[in-house]
Amino acid sequence: MIPIEFFLMFAAILFVIGIYGIMTKNNAIVVLMCIEMVLNAANMNLVTFAAYNGAIMGQVFVLFTVAVAACEVAVGIAIMLNVYKVKKTTVIDDLTELRW
Amino acid sequence: MFIEYTWLIPAIPLVMFVLIGLFSRGEKNYGGAFAVLGALATLVISALVAYEFLTGDAYTTVGYVTESVKWFSIGGFEITLGYYVDGLTCLMLIFSTLISLLIFIYSLGYMDDQGKRKKRYYAEISLFLAGMTGLVISNNYLMMFVFWEVMGLCSYLLIGFWSFKHPEGDEASDKAASAAKKAFIVTRLGDASLMAGLFVLLYAFNTLDFVTLFDASIIETIDKNLLVIGTLLLFGGAIGKSAQFPLQDWLPDAMAGPTTVSALIHAATMVKAGVYLVARSFPLFTQSMEVMLVVGLIGGITAILAASMALVNDNIKQVLAFSTISQLGYMFMALGAGGYMFALGIAENDTALVALGALGYTAGVFHMFNHAFFKAQLFLGSGSVIHSTGTEDMREMGGLRHKMKSTSTTMLIGSLSIAGFPFFSGFWSKDLVLASVLDAGAYGPEGYVFAIVWIMGIITVFMTAFYMFRMWYMTFGGPEGPKTETCHGESPKSMTIPLWVLAIFAFASGFLLLFGLDGMITIDSNFLVGTLAGEGAIYWLEHMFLNPYTYLSIVLALGGIYIAYLMYGKFAANPGRFNREGTSWLYNALEKRWWFPQFYNWLSWTFGYGVGKAVNSFDKHVVDGAVNGVASVIVGSGEVGKRAQTGNVGNYTSVIMIGMAVIGATILLLAHFLGGM
Repeated sequence: MIPIEFFLMFAAILFVIGIYGIMTKNNAIVVLMCIEMVLNAANMNLVTFAAYNGAIMGQVFVLFTVAVAACEVAVGIAIMLNVYKVKKTTVIDDLTELRW
Repeated sequence: MFIEYTWLIPAIPLVMFVLIGLFSRGEKNYGGAFAVLGALATLVISALVAYEFLTGDAYTTVGYVTESVKWFSIGGFEITLGYYVDGLTCLMLIFSTLISLLIFIYSLGYMDDQGKRKKRYYAEISLFLAGMTGLVISNNYLMMFVFWEVMGLCSYLLIGFWSFKHPEGDEASDKAASAAKKAFIVTRLGDASLMAGLFVLLYAFNTLDFVTLFDASIIETIDKNLLVIGTLLLFGGAIGKSAQFPLQDWLPDAMAGPTTVSALIHAATMVKAGVYLVARSFPLFTQSMEVMLVVGLIGGITAILAASMALVNDNIKQVLAFSTISQLGYMFMALGAGGYMFALGIAENDTALVALGALGYTAGVFHMFNHAFFKAQLFLGSGSVIHSTGTEDMREMGGLRHKMKSTSTTMLIGSLSIAGFPFFSGFWSKDLVLASVLDAGAYGPEGYVFAIVWIMGIITVFMTAFYMFRMWYMTFGGPEGPKTETCHGESPKSMTIPLWVLAIFAFASGFLLLFGLDGMITIDSNFLVGTLAGEGAIYWLEHMFLNPYTYLSIVLALGGIYIAYLMYGKFAANPGRFNREGTSWLYNALEKRWWFPQFYNWLSWTFGYGVGKAVNSFDKHVVDGAVNGVASVIVGSGEVGKRAQTGNVGNYTSVIMIGMAVIGATILLLAHFLGGM
């Protein structure tokens, strides 16, 4: 049986890559993708602990999370689409007018 | 049976106030009929209550009937709402509601030409009546204070009734507005003092209910100094409301309102409240001779000062206003003298002296009762004259006796009454007042003060007779003045009938003395003021006519009337000879009201305005500065803090991650050092 640490390490790496992407990437689409990676890292942990503890609820919960993530991406991409229509760009550094 | 419904007495005019104020639209009288009906209902209930009380058991045993419900409580202080009926209440209720009713009826004629504004007028006079009757039936000082303030408000509104549009033009309406403000502010000084007095009493007694406050056994346990302070402060309220020296100056100015309002203020309500306050608080006031000395002295000073100012005034209403102030001085004189002897009698355990003190109390209250009738009559009579001639200046009148027969005859009766002509009502009470003051002068170490007060009073008798008949002859006697020729003749029936009714009372109300008034005015069995039994006619006749000083005051009154007749009726003596054609300093002093208005102005401009400016700059710089300072600190820090918001998602994420890392590291460190995990 594969030890649990492998799965946890995998989730941690996935999380850190996602965070790195959010912090450094300038393209809104890429940032959205990175957010998905962070989310999936969390899902990974849920599935892992569910499997090792024999609690099926964790895996069911992940199904819901996936559904919610799909909606979230749909909304996110819709926003970016409209931003692009107005601003003709999806570069995050240029989208800072709403701060004050 | 009826006493349980005492609460209806102020409630009915209050309901009328609401009804007239909110719902009267377009009727011919704009609510006049409602106001009259309300006053009539109030009078009927008052009469029934008085009848039941005076024939009931409580009157001869405890001396009062009271009932209350809880209003609210603050800490340990319980404040109630209820009625307290005793002889004084009955007397006050009867004359104030009767006179108010007559004035309301008179108003139907007098205010007939005021159009839509009558609605406001009738609503306000109904509220005024509610204020007075509520004050009279109150069972504790706080409730009394509430109605006291209601009256203050009504007097302000009614004195300023013509402040928007005066029949005599803009200048007169400005005068009305400033007179209303003056009345409000000057009486406010007294009200502040009254309120302070209530705080002292509340502190001393833990309650403001009359039943507890007037209980002799409880009063004994209270610190005397506290009582002196409390009663002096209460008397300050009476000074303001009853226009006594040194706050007397608002009342003559208050003549800027309609004449009916003046009659209401002077005869039935408002200024009587101050006298009532002192009479009601008699058990507290009589705890100290010094307080009573102050009351008597203030009364004496006011009586002579106001009478002197009336000597030279040419405005028919202002003469009457000064005479009111002077007569109120008589009432306080009598209450002061009575209370002084009462207190001395208690201190020396001398029952005869206590009985004399009770007589002084009776005299003061009796004079208030009589004064209400003849003063209402005189004011309504002057209103009738003003209504007909369209002026208040007596120099433009004269010779009206042929054109206004009812008015001139009734005014003559009123003037004779106030001057103290024998057997008219003013004669009985005024001589009783003077006799009491003279009695007080003979007792105690400070008695000589009352001897001085008596001299002031006896001079005032002469002056009163003179200025009243000066007024009568200038208005009704002599040749016809310029405005007499253009006058409208006699006033309508709705005005002359109340005049006649009041004239009958002005003549006859004094005879009440002969039929057991002494028994009617009692406080309660702990503080027996009055003998309950009533002394009978013979006793009073002996009391009056075996006293040589009675004849002195009669002679003085007749002398005053005769001199007035010589000067203004027959023109045998030229008044100009006595004042060097208006150049003597005394004449100027009187004309300028002893410089009181100037003094008030000077005081308020130098001190009031200075204090106002200081407070204003404190408000502007300190209070506003603090508020604005706090605001600008917050705005400034926001300006600095907003730089942290870059709008860049990456930056936000970094901050969140750093924060998470710090929290995680802290938890790990804590777990490491504290153990656990």
